[in-house]
Amino acid sequence: MVNLEELKSEIKRVLGEGKVKYFIGYRRSTGGLPAAPFFMKETEDVERLIWDPTCIANLTRFLDDEKKRKARQKEPDTRPIGIIVKGCDSRAINVLLQEEFIKREDVYIVGVSCEHSGMVDEKKLAAKMKGKAVAQVDFAGKDNFAVTAADGEKTGIPAAEVLAGRCVECKVDYPVVRDVTFGEELARSPGNAFKSVEKIEAMSVAERWDFWKEQFDKCIRCYACRSVCPMCYCDECVVDTINFAVTAQTGAKEKAQKIKWIEKSPATSENFFYHMVRAMHLAGRCVDCGECERVCPVDIPLRFLNKKMEKEAKELFDYDVGMNPELPSLVSSFRDEDAEDFIR
Amino acid sequence: MEKILTKQSFPEWIEKLSAYKVYAPIKKEDHWDYEVVEKAVGLDPAYGNAVLSPKKIIFPQREVLFEFGSQTKEGFDLKENLPEDEAVVIFGVRPCDAKALTGTDKVFSGDFEDPYYRKRRDAATLVGLSCNTPPSKNCFCLSVDGSPFSKTGLDVLLTDLGETYFVETLSDKGEQLVNAASAFFSDSKKKEKKEVEKLQIDAEKKIVRQVKDVKSLPGKLKEIFDSSFWDDESLSCIRCGICTYLCPTCHCFDICDEVTCEYPLAGKRVRTWDNCQFPDFTMHSSGHNPRPDKASRLRQRIQHKYNYFVERYDEYQCTGCGRCIGKCPVGIDIIEVLNKVNEHGA
Repeated sequence: MVNLEELKSEIKRVLGEGKVKYFIGYRRSTGGLPAAPFFMKETEDVERLIWDPTCIANLTRFLDDEKKRKARQKEPDTRPIGIIVKGCDSRAINVLLQEEFIKREDVYIVGVSCEHSGMVDEKKLAAKMKGKAVAQVDFAGKDNFAVTAADGEKTGIPAAEVLAGRCVECKVDYPVVRDVTFGEELARSPGNAFKSVEKIEAMSVAERWDFWKEQFDKCIRCYACRSVCPMCYCDECVVDTINFAVTAQTGAKEKAQKIKWIEKSPATSENFFYHMVRAMHLAGRCVDCGECERVCPVDIPLRFLNKKMEKEAKELFDYDVGMNPELPSLVSSFRDEDAEDFIR
Repeated sequence: MEKILTKQSFPEWIEKLSAYKVYAPIKKEDHWDYEVVEKAVGLDPAYGNAVLSPKKIIFPQREVLFEFGSQTKEGFDLKENLPEDEAVVIFGVRPCDAKALTGTDKVFSGDFEDPYYRKRRDAATLVGLSCNTPPSKNCFCLSVDGSPFSKTGLDVLLTDLGETYFVETLSDKGEQLVNAASAFFSDSKKKEKKEVEKLQIDAEKKIVRQVKDVKSLPGKLKEIFDSSFWDDESLSCIRCGICTYLCPTCHCFDICDEVTCEYPLAGKRVRTWDNCQFPDFTMHSSGHNPRPDKASRLRQRIQHKYNYFVERYDEYQCTGCGRCIGKCPVGIDIIEVLNKVNEHGA
């Protein structure tokens, strides 16, 4: 078990010694669940830290904010950022390291083990509780959660019934990159990590078109999927109406020549374009933290797209995303001895 | 007038409304969304509130303003594209969402009336549904001059009495709707009116969340405009557009030309929703951005709703529906932020 008090004292120690600028963890949100990202600056902040199955958010997304913040400052504080990561989140850090978006010394990584259960899916839990408000969820040994309702009633629920989709197909439930780990490192055998995709693969092309058309037609282009993604860190994104690479020095001609790739209108064609571009840019990079699907306000099952890309990377290149920071990034590397002609 | 409609007759009432395009909340995966009714059925008792308010019908995310072609000797070939004359009725509107539209009415009226908005708004009849139980754990309408039984902005208000609906018509448009199928409606009795009053009292007790001392917020917000408070509160913001796009009162838009890649050149001038939480919302073509960070954007959202709008229209630009709280990916809670604003420097 992760001992919360030990976790707190480690973070207090690191903050107290001034080793990090601030520490990102989790606090209880006003709504109870899921837990909210929590930025700790002082040791007394750490008292509000929590660690339980509601800590589903992937905090590595905030490393992008920090990098951009530093770039804006004239004399930035160059100390590392402390961050709590789960297994899947740690894989995102590996990808960011592979892509040299961050340096290893930029982060002080406190890994936590999910200990053979995982994180709670808020919607599945709500359905299971039949509308009864939930105040707290705790780990309760292997494959079980203890749920405390808002009225104080406690129930035990088998984890499998309310587990987030990402956790059902989890590849590694302890951090693969970290400075210190809390909780046991348990070898995991996920079985078929791509089981969910089979549902889509079994569809005919026409059925698949109908399925995705219905899904993408719901999209309101709030870009929450892009905003929550640790891999969507580009300064310049084809879907934005304005190019953020524009500076005071950019000439009028250059600005005028920028191509508008996509309309702001939430039309079928534009929504497809947006989601396809995102999926393609995540191929070999997405670690299936599942955040895009979790935050979608209109329930678009985005994991199917990214999972398919992850599966292609595995089947075609035997590449496991985010497992080894020493490997070159899949989509930006090639080998002379590669058997495929198209690659040379 | 006050009438009684049995739930059995409800679908039959909808069927009588063939002169209207009828919208109602339809269940999708884990949420509800207003859609055109294909087959008349009753309102699902499990219905809470739709993910997007009726704003999406009155002020659609995409509105074609006009179409244009190439220049000819006679000038530019322009065709205005006002919404079609089509009566619309929207069922299941929650009181907070109807009240939100009355705020937006003020924005799109006044000296420069927006014909696109006005036309859709005038063509719509809103049939409300009182909230016997708060649709969300984050409901806080009572803090912002609202109520789970508020009639503001509605044409008809239905209150669920179990087997029947208590029906109040609140405008001429509402009366027309009831008169279209008057045979289904019976006169209400005193007893039923009493029951509605009791339900309202009970419903108000069930709303637990509140913004404290809301009246002092505009002044407080002015005081802390330059405070580092906004930096701390916005740390976890991921700059997505959920809070504002789902908000029933947010009404900012962008105007773009959508041009076809064909000869002769033709295109459409289109208005789409825009969002103050997106970094490009205030980006100048020079590269300068007057709201360069998350702090200034969160501040804008809060200040607009609880300060600027109050100054201009003497009402809050927030009706306490709780959508921005429940759907925020990182748990930013407008009630918590506002209560902290009030306590700030105290």
